Amino acid sequence: MQKTGIAVWDQVEIAQRQCAAWRFPFRSIWVERIESEWHALSLPETGKRSEARSMFIPRTQKPESSRWRHYLHRESGLVQPTPVLPDRPIVVRPDRALTLLPGQSTIFFLEIPVWFRLSTVGPRAARIFEEPLCVLTRTWFGDPVTGELCWGLAARLHHSIDSVETSAWIAVCPLMIENDSDTDLDFEKICLHVENLSVFRGTLRLWANSLNVIFKGPDQATQIEIVHTPPGFEQGLTMVGAARQPAAGWNIRKTFGMLKYFTDF
Amino acid sequence: MIRQITVWLQSISPEVLTKALRVSLTILIGLFVVRVLAVVTQRFIMRKSTAQRQMIARKIISYAGFFLVLMGVLSELGLKLTALLGAAGIVGIAVGFASQTSVSNIISGLFLISEKPFGVGDVIRIGTTTGIIQSIDLLSIKIRTFDNLFVRIPNEKILSSEVTNITRFPIRRMDIVFQVDYDQDLNKVHELLAEVARDNPWSLDEPVPAIIFSDFKESGIEVLLGLWFAKSDFMELKNSIMKDISSLFASEGVRFAHPNRLVKIVEGSAATS
Repeated sequence: MQKTGIAVWDQVEIAQRQCAAWRFPFRSIWVERIESEWHALSLPETGKRSEARSMFIPRTQKPESSRWRHYLHRESGLVQPTPVLPDRPIVVRPDRALTLLPGQSTIFFLEIPVWFRLSTVGPRAARIFEEPLCVLTRTWFGDPVTGELCWGLAARLHHSIDSVETSAWIAVCPLMIENDSDTDLDFEKICLHVENLSVFRGTLRLWANSLNVIFKGPDQATQIEIVHTPPGFEQGLTMVGAARQPAAGWNIRKTFGMLKYFTDF
Repeated sequence: MIRQITVWLQSISPEVLTKALRVSLTILIGLFVVRVLAVVTQRFIMRKSTAQRQMIARKIISYAGFFLVLMGVLSELGLKLTALLGAAGIVGIAVGFASQTSVSNIISGLFLISEKPFGVGDVIRIGTTTGIIQSIDLLSIKIRTFDNLFVRIPNEKILSSEVTNITRFPIRRMDIVFQVDYDQDLNKVHELLAEVARDNPWSLDEPVPAIIFSDFKESGIEVLLGLWFAKSDFMELKNSIMKDISSLFASEGVRFAHPNRLVKIVEGSAATS
């Protein structure tokens, strides 16, 4: 096994006493199978490597670490790595100040780092473990009493998919925003409930469900529609990572953060 | 001995035996029904309620049920309940005067239950005691401290004291106060603290950490670093942030202020002459 790019998400057969590795820019994952135990190790990387790779490595070259975790599961050696979206909402902080004027709409392509989930394949299929491939900051969205704990992500807002680099560890989420209010919509923070979104596999990149967001005004919650079909920006997409918490088509939530809450002295 | 018991049983009239049987059945069936009602209410009817509400409902059902069973037993024994209740009222007043503290605790308990300043499972601080609430009863609340001690605090004391509910809100701020030497570059200190807050995985980046040079102290400049965190991450943040600050300051040459005294001996002064 020596795979690069999107092919790192292919099924892999790990034989007894064999060690497989998945190397991503900010995270490397090693998995070894010994008898009915799966040994897994996740270590941070420096980010110097840009491409995702997976390979078998000689057992003598596996990293020595006290952080190896052992999972007991009697299943054959076929495993399925799956990209899934983070387990909490994400607060996206755009890299530049943008204002959407009243009555206008636009589309953005957001890059969301995925988590690596490894599951066994077979009649007794089970999830072995999950690891984020890029550690995001912890952040809070909303006021200190009723807000919610989220992951923070500083991101570039792409207007075109052509400017988004292909990556095997980032899912692209098309975000259609309509300002249906009579006030300007300033993008300071956008809270996306990515635990409601699925991941689709394309030929070169991963995709998440498209989102249609209708902004009704600063004092009102925002209408959000999750488009459950694969995004139409690439043909032949297949769903690989189901949503952690599937949601109904329409949802009303607070999405845009513009108010300064009293959290200081 | 057996013969004596047999003779004694034969001497009891059938009416008395019937009454004894009915009393026994009232107690057994009554207590069983009360128990079943309490369990069904807690586990099924109030399944989605908080632990505190479940506990209150269970206690109300239990106390009311025991009272009804007791009334039933007394009625079976032929006691006139109206006279008994009248006597109970007089006795109650007498007992009430004699146990003012208990009554005060009960009333305080009712206020606490209705006001809901905390619930079962919350972490609270009262005076010097900090711990997790185990139960809120009519007379007192029970707390398990973090060093696993059982503490009972009378409700009356809680109502008249300042109580801090540490886990009421989902996020909290941890304030770390220390002093740096007067000759330190404060801009550099500010940058380093911002870096520590940014790199710590348990510190929230929003709300923004507070970095405040708060006071000129005797030995140095007082600095306050206020970090927001999810309430479950207290220990992780506390331990890691102290190590982070200490190691980054050491590597960057920033010195903490220590208490010191500068003694100047002036030649020819009255003290030295």
